Amino acid sequence: MIGLLSATVSFAALLYLAALGELIAEKSGILNLGVEGMMAIGAVTGFMVALETNNPWIAFLAAIVATAVFALLHGLFTVVLGAEQVVSGLSLTILGVGLAAFLGKGAVGRPPGAVLAPVDWGPLSDIPWVGTVFFSQSPVVYFAVLAGVAVSLLLTHTSVGLALRGAGESASTVDAAGYSVTAIRLAAVAFGGAMAGASGAYLTLSLTPQWAEGLTAGRGWIAVALVIFGAWRPGRAAVGAVLFGGLLALKTRLQTFGVDLSPILLSMLPYLLTIAVLIVISIRARNRPSAAPAALGQAYRREER
Amino acid sequence: MTRLVLVRREQVLKGGQPLAFLIGLVFAMLIGVVLLLISGHDPLAIYGRMVEASLGSPRAWSITLNRAVPLGLAGLAVAVAGSMGLWNIGAEGQILAGAMMAAWVARLGEGWASPLLITAMLVAAVVGGALLASGPAVARAQIGVNEIITTLMLNEVALRLLQWLIHGSWKDPESHGFPLAPMLPDEARLPGLFERAHWGVVIALGVIALFGLVASRTSWGYELRVAGSSGATARYAGISLKRKITTVLILSGGIAGLAGGIELSGNADRITEGISAGYGFAGIIVAALALLRPSGVAAVALLFGAVQVGGLSIQTMGVSSSVSTILQAFILFGAIGAGVFSRYAVRRVKNDKTDNQS
Repeated sequence: MIGLLSATVSFAALLYLAALGELIAEKSGILNLGVEGMMAIGAVTGFMVALETNNPWIAFLAAIVATAVFALLHGLFTVVLGAEQVVSGLSLTILGVGLAAFLGKGAVGRPPGAVLAPVDWGPLSDIPWVGTVFFSQSPVVYFAVLAGVAVSLLLTHTSVGLALRGAGESASTVDAAGYSVTAIRLAAVAFGGAMAGASGAYLTLSLTPQWAEGLTAGRGWIAVALVIFGAWRPGRAAVGAVLFGGLLALKTRLQTFGVDLSPILLSMLPYLLTIAVLIVISIRARNRPSAAPAALGQAYRREER
Repeated sequence: MTRLVLVRREQVLKGGQPLAFLIGLVFAMLIGVVLLLISGHDPLAIYGRMVEASLGSPRAWSITLNRAVPLGLAGLAVAVAGSMGLWNIGAEGQILAGAMMAAWVARLGEGWASPLLITAMLVAAVVGGALLASGPAVARAQIGVNEIITTLMLNEVALRLLQWLIHGSWKDPESHGFPLAPMLPDEARLPGLFERAHWGVVIALGVIALFGLVASRTSWGYELRVAGSSGATARYAGISLKRKITTVLILSGGIAGLAGGIELSGNADRITEGISAGYGFAGIIVAALALLRPSGVAAVALLFGAVQVGGLSIQTMGVSSSVSTILQAFILFGAIGAGVFSRYAVRRVKNDKTDNQS
């Protein structure tokens, strides 16, 4: 049971990191379906750099930077050139998964060069149950919590957050107010990449910690789902992350609890729940403004305003 | 101070898209050269092997054609939805649903005559894909639920349903505990055409040509384009948008489902989780490169089939088959980049301060 709770927190952080990045990108009006590919790039970069340097922090940072740069490819095509976001995002996934497999070929099966060891909180870590579940986690987990609070504050309490939300609701208004829509959206896409990279690196530097082709195993899609499940709000997404993380953790432990339910069927739940939530959001959107950013998916060209 | 901006051309450059595609291909191959050099391979030898294995002989052509079948049908599925401005990102799941239904019919129809069994399997495959798409279709038409997300989510659901079947009730008792479905009976195999190519090639070409004709020559196809370009115009013309959206998405799912049925009956020994090697996602790239035109879909699918077959062939030379995946993505990125300039011209404009604050 305690293993289940501890794994729930770990998986929740994994999903939440990537979802926070996607949330910011979508808030700015850019749908990026490349999360799965970005996670793969982050995972392979983190693992390879750790092999070279034996320093987990350099590896973690390298994964974040590399994936942010990788994500800017989506930014270049959708924000600067105004290409179709769905097509560019999916291509980013295909490219990321392919590149990661290509670059990581020599690293398959090798032991990790370094891992992000669990943080020792001293006496806190010794508290029965609570200590194991909350205070013996990888530093990335606490990073995810901080990032969630930071993103939440940024969106609601700062002018940058206001401009960001504006870019996703009505780009021309933000433009008229003197902000550069292009700069805001590019920064949001890069941030999305950075967070997906952190999530991927968490896999290869803490959770697994190994590299194999297809390691991300569809978790990037769950992160995309999480943004919708959380109705584009960091707080609700956190609740969703714990729920989906719990489902991932439960998947491998069902038998130990003597439950006669296929773990495979259980793993459908995040996707089905997301569809259900999206339907509810759509029904409610008939009577009031939708939870989704109004300009999500639309290119902005100032000259055609 | 001046800056560069993109200005929409009054007319799209003629022949712009094939040219953009070619530029994308060259761009992707150049990137491939860099990647291969970095990883210590001889790019010329690798590319030579890829061309040889995919287009160098009748046998190579037959393998490439087989590979182009699911790519072309998935591309057509995306293009059909795209002609109305809808995105079917669920072709991957619909392919699996089609293959599952076909496999189910093959289980039921043991002992049936081969033509009957194959026909039943392919019809079931269409139904399977259409069924999976029907939820997103109705939700989009009636409530306005974003079909991009619903179709995307159902990919993962379909994959898990297939895994559940293979690990559960479909597991072959003679597979020594491995999660494998039993082999298909010989009656369930599509007959051959030449070398390794099977009749699925003809079926796929037929379906693509048929949709091309329907879209360009019938009033239904015309209404589709009207509805796709402007919902308001369509309503004035008395076209029911809800019905069009539902029909088009279900049709799109059915076409992708057919790809799954053909893949099972033509190429596979048994149904596996990997029965669709990412064809549904590649189909989106195919459709995008073809600008959603059926003739273009067939051409791009053939080229992507060759790239994929070539990619598989270089594994024996110690190169990851992911090279072909990388090439496909960069063909698209290169073509998008080049394609932008067939629709937009680069202009220099004066950038004064009032402009910034307007």
